[in-house]
Amino acid sequence: MSSQAGWDSVSGIATLLLSGNLTAIAIAIVVAFGVPILLHYFFYRAAASPPSSNFLLLGPSGAGKTAFTTLLEAKSSLASKTTHNTHTSQVSTLITVTLPASVPTASNRYRSVNDPSLKEASRNPIKYRLRDTPGHGKLRASQGIAELQTMASSNDSKNKLRGVIFMVDTAALVDEAVLRDTATYLHDVLLILQKRSLGKGRSSTKRATEIPVLIAANKQDLFTALPPGSVREKLEAEIDRVRKSKTKGLMDASMDTADVDVGEDEVLGDDDGQGVFSFKLMEDVGIKVDVTGGAVKGESQEEVGSGVRRWEEWVGMCL
Amino acid sequence: MLEAFEILTTSGVVLWSKSYAPVGSHVINSLINDVFIEEKVVPQSGPVGGAFPVYKKEKYTLKWKRIKEFNLIFVAVYQSLLHLGWIDKLLENISTIFIDVYKDQLKGNRARISVYKFDAYFEQQVRELEDNTGSFTDGLATGTDDKKDALVSSDNGGPPPPPVPGLIKAQHQAAPSGAISDEATPPGTPDISRTSTPVTGHLLAGKAGPAGRVSRRARKAANASANASSGDEISRKGGKSTPKSSTKKMRKWDADGFADEDDGVVLDYSAPADQTSADAPVVEAVSQDDMGRRTGKGEFVLKDLGDEVHNILDNADAEKGKDSALSGVVGSGFNAIGGFFRNIVGGKVLTEADLQKPLKAMEDHLLKKNVAREAAVRLCEGVERELVGKKTANFQSVDAALRIAMEASLRKILTPTSSLDLLREINAVTAPTTKQQAPRPYVMSIVGVNGVGKSTNLSKICFFLLQNNYRVLIAACDTFRSGAVEQLRVHARNLKELSARENVGEVELYEKGYGKDAANVAKDAVAYGAANKFDVVLIDTAGRRHNDQRLMSSLEKFAKFAQPDKIFMVGEALVGTDSVMQARNFNQAFGSGRNLDGFIISKCDTVGDMVGTLVSMVHATGIPIVFLGVGQHYGDLRGLSVPWAVNLLMK
Repeated sequence: MSSQAGWDSVSGIATLLLSGNLTAIAIAIVVAFGVPILLHYFFYRAAASPPSSNFLLLGPSGAGKTAFTTLLEAKSSLASKTTHNTHTSQVSTLITVTLPASVPTASNRYRSVNDPSLKEASRNPIKYRLRDTPGHGKLRASQGIAELQTMASSNDSKNKLRGVIFMVDTAALVDEAVLRDTATYLHDVLLILQKRSLGKGRSSTKRATEIPVLIAANKQDLFTALPPGSVREKLEAEIDRVRKSKTKGLMDASMDTADVDVGEDEVLGDDDGQGVFSFKLMEDVGIKVDVTGGAVKGESQEEVGSGVRRWEEWVGMCL
Repeated sequence: MLEAFEILTTSGVVLWSKSYAPVGSHVINSLINDVFIEEKVVPQSGPVGGAFPVYKKEKYTLKWKRIKEFNLIFVAVYQSLLHLGWIDKLLENISTIFIDVYKDQLKGNRARISVYKFDAYFEQQVRELEDNTGSFTDGLATGTDDKKDALVSSDNGGPPPPPVPGLIKAQHQAAPSGAISDEATPPGTPDISRTSTPVTGHLLAGKAGPAGRVSRRARKAANASANASSGDEISRKGGKSTPKSSTKKMRKWDADGFADEDDGVVLDYSAPADQTSADAPVVEAVSQDDMGRRTGKGEFVLKDLGDEVHNILDNADAEKGKDSALSGVVGSGFNAIGGFFRNIVGGKVLTEADLQKPLKAMEDHLLKKNVAREAAVRLCEGVERELVGKKTANFQSVDAALRIAMEASLRKILTPTSSLDLLREINAVTAPTTKQQAPRPYVMSIVGVNGVGKSTNLSKICFFLLQNNYRVLIAACDTFRSGAVEQLRVHARNLKELSARENVGEVELYEKGYGKDAANVAKDAVAYGAANKFDVVLIDTAGRRHNDQRLMSSLEKFAKFAQPDKIFMVGEALVGTDSVMQARNFNQAFGSGRNLDGFIISKCDTVGDMVGTLVSMVHATGIPIVFLGVGQHYGDLRGLSVPWAVNLLMK
């Protein structure tokens, strides 16, 4: 025989493996049992690790976005219950937060209170991811808005955006300049969401999944803070003014080459800029807007983070 | 004396901070805004030749150090009156120690929530550096030493007794004042703090009212808890061994009564170590030999901490030395090959040498796009600072990384901090929502060098306003050049014709002939506009050379008389390097407290993609571009679109 069983040639190795010696059997057993276990290990881990529901935190600078994220982060961590102080952010961050078990979620809406699976859920609480963005005027376009666009348009289930939280400083909203700035930002955000929901609805039969917006009226603990209802009125009136002046304003320099197509897409709300703007109009295009009050700081005698409870409930209703 | 020291991340979370006196958080916020985000202030290196850049805000001077690898910023805040030579060293050492001690936590994803018990290290460093300099703080140091000595010797008797629970709660209530009492005023002899006042002349004088009240409270607390406070003293010394429940935060006290007590912190005469005593309710019995030793002065120093810190610093120095040694013959050859592959595959840590050539190419590219040299150099330096020490992504070449960084940098420079909505601002002034403000016309004036198109752009803006149904008054304040008024008259006639045809707004020309003082004419025009219920007054001015002091000086008077809501400067897109000086001189011409409000870049249609003037002008002043002139017709006025401009520049 030309090809002897041995390790010196390829055919030799093949022969060795096919002959019934002990090494070959051992290798065969290891491969046969090991591969399925390894495969399972890899795929299982990859699928389970990141929570798939994302929330985006937007808002002007100084509204309390970073403070809110640190509070949630501290709440969901088991070890430390202290929150760090915050300053103006320069980059956006993505954090994973656990929803407290006491907060009801939308997926458990129809379950009975006595349902044993609720107890099960309270033992391993739901996780979601929250992206904090810087609110400074120069960084909004490159980070906040850009993030919103990529997250809203991505089809990847890992990046799917479940909701937008727009943080507002209610104590500073009395100031005309702050109100104008806040409303302009909120207008831009809503316009992007509207374009997305209308654009997808037109191209395919099924409408895009809704992305609800929560306007988190922060700093309710301060004496000068406006109540949520008044925040809503003020923002609606101001967005109405923004909308009016946007339709009348100058075109961008980039527009002159492309054909001028200022359709209804460019106007927020589906009434073509007629009438008065209200957040109700957004519901017609599939964007639900809620205004809810809360406070990231304050109430020192109570439990940490009780002021953000209602926002967490809103998050729960999106899950 | 050092006022505060903070360690924060670029995402805005303060990881660790220590403040000796209350420093408003707006001080550091404005550092971030002005230096890191808006890049308004060009960081200057310290006057004494310090290695770290300096930023001044109010009465404070801030020095900072950035660690790009961990996205950390170390900021030291101190009073501008003082010249602290050791701040540089402190920043350097603290950053090294902090990163070395918490390397694992910083790398993990829980970096933002872990608690950093860094106080002991920091205090050790401050004490050491202060001693080394042996400067004006000597008096203070000995003062505190004496007190410490008294305290320490008094509790030599044995392990400190457990604190009374009720007492701790009380201390917690008045945290800052409690802290003072424990450290600054030894029980029973509160006078010491007063005597040390003249020695520490640089400290803030506290507000008389609240301070007195606080110290009384503090004394009471101290008297009641002589033993407990000395226990706290030990626990502070113990540093690492005693668990600290929480570090004192720079709390923002709201409009409730606690604000006064916060002011009381300025009473803190024994500046180092006012922090940790209010908490630490659990005190372990620690034998003194374990903890430290006594120096000749009777100072009680931690035994192992100093050694540990020195070890860390020495290691860092040694590594630096190794790095430079490694770049020998063998090292360089190996690095070259590795670098070549990494350049293709990505994941390469960029160094200055890597960036030198692509940066030069990028600079040339920008110069070709008509960006002024000064602006191009600064942009490239900024990008270099950003990139050095960063890792390229997978399959990303150095050029691609540089390109992305440059695009981001351009976008950042061109994006205005707050977008201007002219129509809404006009509405806010002419039809105010509140009763207190009387309606008045909105005044805009246009300045610029000769022949850049001031009158043309003014009439374009006028046309735009007419389309929105405003009543516009054009004031001809170019009383200098012959034919200027006639030119405006033609524009006014045309616009009147156009608006009458479309039945939109109204326009009128206000003229007073030649030779008059422009500022007076402008003032009269505004008064005339207010009397005749005009919505907008547009003021045209004479063109002037920006380096002619005689002509420029009249602008200050003009701004004072006419009180324009907006002053726009017109600049040509054709101008090259001169744009920087033009923008800068015009920006300064209106006296202190008044700047330009925006640029109008005219003749953009004549330069194609060489729109570098946009960048140069914004770079020189930090003032946004509001309009672009893109043609000969009245309607050829556009707003700035940042992506459009960046695309043209990077093409």
